[in-house]
Amino acid sequence: MTTVAPRIQEETLQIKPRRDPFLIILWIVLVTFALVWIAPVVLIAFTALKSNAEIMATSAFTPPEAIAWNNFSGAWSRGNFETTFRNSAIITVIKVPLGLMFSAMAAYALARIRLRFGKLLLLFFLFGAMIPFQVMLAPIFTLVNGFGLIDTYPGVILPYLAFGVPYQVFILHGFFKAVPKELSEAALIDGASHVTVFRRIFLPISLPVLAALLILDFVSTWNEFAMALVLLQDRHMWTLPLGLMSFQGQFSTDYGQLNAAIAMTVFPAVLVYMIFQRYFVSGLTSGAVKG
Amino acid sequence: MATVHVSDLRKSFGAVEVVKGVSIDIRDGEFLILVGPSGCGKSTLLRMIAGLEDISAGRIDIGGRVVNTLSPKERNIAMVFQNYALYPQMTVAQNMGFSLEISGLKKAEIDKKVAAASEILGLNPLLQRKPSQLSGGQRQRVAMGRAIVRDPDVFLFDEPLSNLDAKLRVQMRAEIKALHQRLGSTIVYVTHDQVEAMTMADRIVVLRGGCVEQIGTPLELYDHPENMFVAGFLGSPSMNFLRGKIEGQSLLLPDGERLLLPSLPKTGGGGDIVVGIRPQGFAVGTQDGARASIKVVEPTGADTHVLAEIDGTEITCVVNDRVEFAPGQEIRLSITSAKVHFFDPVSEVRLD
Repeated sequence: MTTVAPRIQEETLQIKPRRDPFLIILWIVLVTFALVWIAPVVLIAFTALKSNAEIMATSAFTPPEAIAWNNFSGAWSRGNFETTFRNSAIITVIKVPLGLMFSAMAAYALARIRLRFGKLLLLFFLFGAMIPFQVMLAPIFTLVNGFGLIDTYPGVILPYLAFGVPYQVFILHGFFKAVPKELSEAALIDGASHVTVFRRIFLPISLPVLAALLILDFVSTWNEFAMALVLLQDRHMWTLPLGLMSFQGQFSTDYGQLNAAIAMTVFPAVLVYMIFQRYFVSGLTSGAVKG
Repeated sequence: MATVHVSDLRKSFGAVEVVKGVSIDIRDGEFLILVGPSGCGKSTLLRMIAGLEDISAGRIDIGGRVVNTLSPKERNIAMVFQNYALYPQMTVAQNMGFSLEISGLKKAEIDKKVAAASEILGLNPLLQRKPSQLSGGQRQRVAMGRAIVRDPDVFLFDEPLSNLDAKLRVQMRAEIKALHQRLGSTIVYVTHDQVEAMTMADRIVVLRGGCVEQIGTPLELYDHPENMFVAGFLGSPSMNFLRGKIEGQSLLLPDGERLLLPSLPKTGGGGDIVVGIRPQGFAVGTQDGARASIKVVEPTGADTHVLAEIDGTEITCVVNDRVEFAPGQEIRLSITSAKVHFFDPVSEVRLD
């Protein structure tokens, strides 16, 4: 044994692991796509920190020489951020948890409680996710107007809920279906009601999925533009994306302030993403390998 | 503790009837095992007793109370599942105390009961662990602990040992039996493993195709199977069946070989008959008896299983000695056991 061992070591040292060409191609593609995605982020960050003169004089991807912090303060007041930020925050903070709660409860009922028209109901939900909301803009406006809710928080939150719930129900339903049925049966025998099973068993084990949905929903609600534009006419009710419109003047555009505003708009979404991304990643793979 | 009466119970899924009028009376403190091949309706029957499946027809009565329409929690039963069904986010102690917590018991009381149950099952060092940190056997023990703390009228076990390895299964088998002796509770236990049924049960119910084939103590069923299905299902290796005619004191096989029988049936001796002989009831030699050829020899250490072919029928013999035969070798078989079973070849019913 002792005489053989060094020779084996020598041999293993000489053999270089061959790289899989497929992996190399994959890496190249990945890096290319990453560059495409990163470019606008860099552009926004650099432009937000440059004065207007510097923006005109230098190329878009040149780092700023003198950092123009006043872009941010200028953008804050010009975009009426105090109001728009508050409106966005109120709408998102109410809509996202509420929508998630409704979706989770609906998904649990569809997945775990025997209902006479359960399948039909699920199909109905899925149908809701299939309709592009642009088609619905005009009818929604009429509806919200009919209720006298134009320029109010409920006037935006209710349609947001209606459009957010279907796909969340779809994803959560799939997840809940994959939970072994013995788990809820054991709890039912232990004396739990469906509410308890949902709250004590299903919610804790679906935290990763809920976190993933929370991030997605937060970002899409925070950035929503078209529906807000239609339903919020009064400037004082505008959300952040609407506030960005004020930087697009008829004759001039202050790119420094515009990009500073964009950076400030995106920041909360990035923050939420960073807080929950640990769950987000495990949530996306949760269906693949049952943990 | 309670009695359970199941009378003329039926269950259909759509047009398919999976439980076809089953009636069983389970005594107080009895360990009753439902056994049968997959798809025989044993699990469905258990789930109906638990209240997890609706009843299509019939009646279930637990402790003198008809529970047909009661929800699982109102039946005061506890169930142990094959895949344990532990709550993954809770510790062992929380898992065991969950039902008590729901029923609104005080924390101190819950702790006391959980401690008592974990003492019985030897779970004390594991109380703060999560299910994912436990081995299969430990998980199964927690699942049993969860059942014990509730002090239910009836324990229901749905193939609790199927996910364990062979050694652990033997160990847990003894533990469950000891637990039953200690608690004296009524247990309904489902398994497809006849060894589990034989070793643990007070009485066994053999099911096939949604019908009860026979109910009795393990030895009653082993010694007096009412039909060929029960005879073949219980015992390991399973019983050999040889078909032929009775002539004098022997069984005449179609190809002319004769096997001397230790006893004869009192009825139905004339035509074709099926004789059931346990694998342990043969002597394998080279001199006297019916001719057979060796197919496979399986030494198990303690004894040897000899698979032979006699008149086109494959039979298994268990021989105590270490015999050495080559495949294809011709041997002579004779019956040594005093007990053979006679069955009607058409109805497969026992003939005495």
